[in-house]
Amino acid sequence: MTQVTSKVCVVGDFAVGKTSVVERFVTNQFSEKYLSTVGVKIDTKEIDFPALGVSHKLVIWDVAGSDEFGHTEFAYLRGASGYIYVADGTRPSTLAAIEHLHSQITGQYGQTPFVLLVNKRDLSHDWSVSDEYLDAITRAYRNVYLTSAKTGDDVEDAITRLAELIIDNDMQGA
Amino acid sequence: MELPAHVVSYLQGQFLSQARPFCFLVDENYRLIESWGDGSWCGLAEIEVDMDMREPVPFLVGLTITAAQELGFIEMPGRAVVNTHVFPHEGLCYVVLLDARYEHGSIQSKQQSMNELRLMHTRQNKLIGRQRDLIGELVETRSELDHHRREAERISANKSRFIAMMSHEFRTPLASIINYADLAGEEGTSSNDVQKSIETISRSARHLTSLVEAVLDDASLDAGQVELLEQDFDIVNLLNDMAAMMAPMAAEKGLSFATFVDPDLPNLVRADEVRLRQILINLLGNAVKFTVEGGVKLTTTYNDGRLVITVSDTGPGITIEDQERVFQAFERGSSRGGTGAGLGLTITLRLVELMGGEVSLDSRPGEGCTVSVHLPIMASADSPSAKRPILPTPGDETIATKPLSILVCDDDEDMIALVEHYLHRSGYGLITSSDSSEAISKTLKYDPDLVLMDCNVPGVGGVVAAKTLRDQGYSRPIVALTASKLSGEQKAVFTHVFRKPAAMQELLIEIKRLTH
Repeated sequence: MTQVTSKVCVVGDFAVGKTSVVERFVTNQFSEKYLSTVGVKIDTKEIDFPALGVSHKLVIWDVAGSDEFGHTEFAYLRGASGYIYVADGTRPSTLAAIEHLHSQITGQYGQTPFVLLVNKRDLSHDWSVSDEYLDAITRAYRNVYLTSAKTGDDVEDAITRLAELIIDNDMQGA
Repeated sequence: MELPAHVVSYLQGQFLSQARPFCFLVDENYRLIESWGDGSWCGLAEIEVDMDMREPVPFLVGLTITAAQELGFIEMPGRAVVNTHVFPHEGLCYVVLLDARYEHGSIQSKQQSMNELRLMHTRQNKLIGRQRDLIGELVETRSELDHHRREAERISANKSRFIAMMSHEFRTPLASIINYADLAGEEGTSSNDVQKSIETISRSARHLTSLVEAVLDDASLDAGQVELLEQDFDIVNLLNDMAAMMAPMAAEKGLSFATFVDPDLPNLVRADEVRLRQILINLLGNAVKFTVEGGVKLTTTYNDGRLVITVSDTGPGITIEDQERVFQAFERGSSRGGTGAGLGLTITLRLVELMGGEVSLDSRPGEGCTVSVHLPIMASADSPSAKRPILPTPGDETIATKPLSILVCDDDEDMIALVEHYLHRSGYGLITSSDSSEAISKTLKYDPDLVLMDCNVPGVGGVVAAKTLRDQGYSRPIVALTASKLSGEQKAVFTHVFRKPAAMQELLIEIKRLTH
């Protein structure tokens, strides 16, 4: 199989569950304890696409939470092939932050494949994002997933989808 | 200043022991050329020349090695935290990794506290927002409940009042019908008395019918089932009819009755004649009913498609507080008393509104009352009225006394006439009164041998009148003859209580027993 390696950055506001999403995807584990990320955490995971004859290794940059990128954060994002945007369904402001970050990233690095994870769907009693807002976001961003790092719901599907998008994008570029 | 060699050496030692720098040189394909330092702390002890350094150092993937750069706080898969410095050099690239775990730990701890505080603040705001929403909902729900409760209480009070009033209003004419029917059926009753009984029964039956019609009309208006039937008719004829109907009623009470018709009022108009007649009967009937002295005036003006009917009386007037209530169902106004379902003005108001008009009321206690109805009514033919109504003449009342005298207080004329018939036949002299306040003064003045008192009568009411008489020292029997249901306490005020319709024979036996 052809080996492909891509840098993927996980971005979003603080405490939306970025590190938990990565941990669920890489090690299939979850911790209830919130541990703030400083700088960036690096993890890797390979996804095989037998139909494509491709083994896709993702080098995942779990970037510290922010609703506004500065010079430091942009340095982390340089060379990324895709983005995992993560928002918190119990805090609508984190979705607005994604809209802002996406606009900043696109302005700096151009169009790049991405998926948007609206996380913490297990906290249904505290869910605060209206269906109308979600519909509007889905229409605008297309690859939107309601995920739960706690239960694992849709986390793997979302990131696998990003891996596919990156391959498609590379093939189109080639 | 140039530092001495041993100071420089000390500083270098400090830096090397804390930052533990590890350097490696890679080519443009990230292959290792050579390395410097101990890489074991960052998991790079086993690297070999020519290996692809992106394997042990995955963050090199995507990294541009043609430009100098610095990346702080990179946590590697083995949990080592490094500050990374990239130095391109003649097509190759030096990568310097410095141990940043202490600084990282310190910042992480502060950032953790700050983020937790922000999260707490967010949650707090959310809770406050929810609390505010809940309070808002609670206030709204409470207000709705209060509104429904008040509405339910109002409906319930109206219903109770309606039942009480209907009970009284129906019982009074029923009493007349039953008793006059008994009288007509008695042996030896003269043909004159039979004829009079039949007339009274007929009048009472018509009164009952009008009560039922009023209740049904109100129910129909409530259900929105009343539809107007507009047709051309002679409005001047209608006004003359009204004058012909009301003038004798006013005259019977010794009241004047005057009408004024605008000369510009067209003879033929297009409207619902039946409903307009109903409005006039209600307004004029009320005015005559509640006016004790003076008179009633009907004024009609017409201007630019608007008919204004004004009914003025010199009655007791209506207090400001009562002015709104009198248009509500089953309300009579506390100062007015009288009989009827208490629906006349309600029906009038609703009919006028149904016809696209308005009702206004101008009154002060003791200064009479003026009700004006404004209706948009179009003329069918433009011919001014030539007919003028009739002016009634006033009349007087008289009172008679006998050795054994009885004061009868009742606001129903038929009832008074019936009791008068039986008491006269039995040899009693009579003093009559249709008002309980008046009955008190007459009793104290003429000191009758017995007082026969209706309870639901104008003035202070029968119960209060009986209490007042006792307080004023009147010690002779006071007998209640009422359609109202009395409480135990109210019954105790009276010597005996008869409920209408009462058997006249029993009433006469009891009166005889109490006065002999």
